[in-house]
Amino acid sequence: MTIFNEIRQLAQSTSNDYLTRARHRGHPTVGYFCSYVPEEMIHAAGAVPYRMRAVGSEGTSLGDTYFSSANCSFVRRVLDKGLRGDFDFLDGIVFMNGCDHNRRLFDNWSYAHPDTGFNYMLFVPHGRSEACLAQYGNELAKLGRFLEERFDTELTAEKLWNSVALYNRKRALLQEIADSRRSAVVPISGTEFLSLMLAVSVVPVEDAIALLEQALAEIRAGRIHTEQAVLRLFVTGSCLEELSHLELLESAGGVVVADAICLGARYFERPVQVGRDPLAALGERYLRNLSCPRMMDDVAGRIAHVRERVSDFGADAVILEKLEFCSMMSGESYISSHELRKFDIPSITLTRELYGGGVGQLKTRIQAFYEKVINRS
Amino acid sequence: MIFAGIDIGSLTAKAVLLRHGKVIASHFEPVKATSLASADHVMGRVLAQAGLRIEEISLTCSTGYGRLEIPFADCNRSEVSCHGLGTFFSNKSVRTIIDIGGQDCKVVVIDSHGMVEDFVMNDKCAAGTGRSLEILARTLGVELADLGRFALRSRRPLPVSNKCSIFMELDVMQLLYQGKRRENIAHGITVSIARRIASLTGKVTLQKGICISGGVSKNAAVVRDIEQAIGVTFTPLAHDPQLMGALGAACFAEKEYRRRMEGGKS
Repeated sequence: MTIFNEIRQLAQSTSNDYLTRARHRGHPTVGYFCSYVPEEMIHAAGAVPYRMRAVGSEGTSLGDTYFSSANCSFVRRVLDKGLRGDFDFLDGIVFMNGCDHNRRLFDNWSYAHPDTGFNYMLFVPHGRSEACLAQYGNELAKLGRFLEERFDTELTAEKLWNSVALYNRKRALLQEIADSRRSAVVPISGTEFLSLMLAVSVVPVEDAIALLEQALAEIRAGRIHTEQAVLRLFVTGSCLEELSHLELLESAGGVVVADAICLGARYFERPVQVGRDPLAALGERYLRNLSCPRMMDDVAGRIAHVRERVSDFGADAVILEKLEFCSMMSGESYISSHELRKFDIPSITLTRELYGGGVGQLKTRIQAFYEKVINRS
Repeated sequence: MIFAGIDIGSLTAKAVLLRHGKVIASHFEPVKATSLASADHVMGRVLAQAGLRIEEISLTCSTGYGRLEIPFADCNRSEVSCHGLGTFFSNKSVRTIIDIGGQDCKVVVIDSHGMVEDFVMNDKCAAGTGRSLEILARTLGVELADLGRFALRSRRPLPVSNKCSIFMELDVMQLLYQGKRRENIAHGITVSIARRIASLTGKVTLQKGICISGGVSKNAAVVRDIEQAIGVTFTPLAHDPQLMGALGAACFAEKEYRRRMEGGKS
């Protein structure tokens, strides 16, 4: 059994033994949403950050009693899982105003009040300016005070820098694994990489580092995913956590070599710069890292990033992923597809429901897109 | 050498045999319970028509929603590519295809070799597809084949929603309760579908030489209303427009055969 089998099992489970063992050692589990919540702060407070997901979701019937069908399937499924007790192992959740759907998730979660401990809302500005950075700093300080009180601890600079060092190590390992896909012989598929991301975002960072070191050792030993000449894909967009969806993309004759998604490059690109003030360093990194479409002032930056990575990784085409009713990605995918066309980069927007159906039509659309890209060469 | 194209759609199964660049047999029929059963049966029909055995087919290409479930197919292509190449085979001046099938609509732009340059498909919604026409004809109380004939008799289309098949059906039911003439309701349906298709065509740059294919292309009223909605006259095809997917698949079978003969990997 290779390390990737264990990683796949972790990726497909809501909870895991690593969390249980950490709990027995006195480390509670704190869920968080989105890529703008500094895990280092939760870790420095003595808890294990747990990235919220809808993995293993059985439907939306309970979630639909609080959300309308015009809300995205991510929030409906996550709330549904919460109401079914799937997250009862959590000691609290840090929510974030990633979008209006997520903002409403906090309201509904607070109102329905599943047995998941505290609910905290981190308000993150929708821009990257100096004023936004200052405000984000205030919000982080507020979060810090909350965590100190909640866990009866002090977030000292030493503790924060220690956490930063661990998370930077984790980022560096992920970056090295991601970079291994630049080569013509791809060692790891996009599906496997997403599995890795799902796994290492729900275990203590120390265990995540051990898992990543094992995965990297396997890659360095000459692991090969595919030698066949298939289309190399770049994936970007909003929430994407379904392994089955990436399998669909890759089984049609493609391999995902790079991405700009939350469970991908947005998580590990760019380390936190060590300096005098840990909260300022965290603020700078989290607010000004590779942005997602919620950041209104960085559309050009995101498109430039896609172009750069497409070139670096030799990608043949871009897949723009969008959940139905994702207002952020609706505008973004429209702008991106038009901008990418100007640079002769083929792209397709795939709209889907999280763990939804419509596989037949998606398969046709994907295969037709690949055939179109191949026709160009 | 004989090449076969087989198209297993959501409502009909189609097959075409090609020899020396000519269609020697073709057939379509409603799908059966499984893609494999549909493929076996429709293939048997074209082989019987041509007096051939399956062993005599040099290569078979499949397309349509059932394309991956046909064990005797040597390769497969998406229906987008197959409709592109099939219509190009049927008329070399075609550059844009509006295909309306059982459960999807697509607009495909092809180059001067019949290869796909761009395409757009309807999303999950079935409004405007063959399946929705089938449901609306049933609600209206007419045979699907008669819906177009009814619509052609009308000069006053009644308003029918084009947002969703369910809303369309509700509109039709309401108009029936109000005692409106079925001809005018039928006309409202075809105009509504035409508007929906017209909005889809706005998502790609249409190239001159526009044709229509797929089962719905046999509904004269829908064809007329789409022509009016987008302001074009459709380029005629030399073969049955419902067979374009299977015909394109047969063309791809021939291409694939030549590629393999030249030593290309499969």
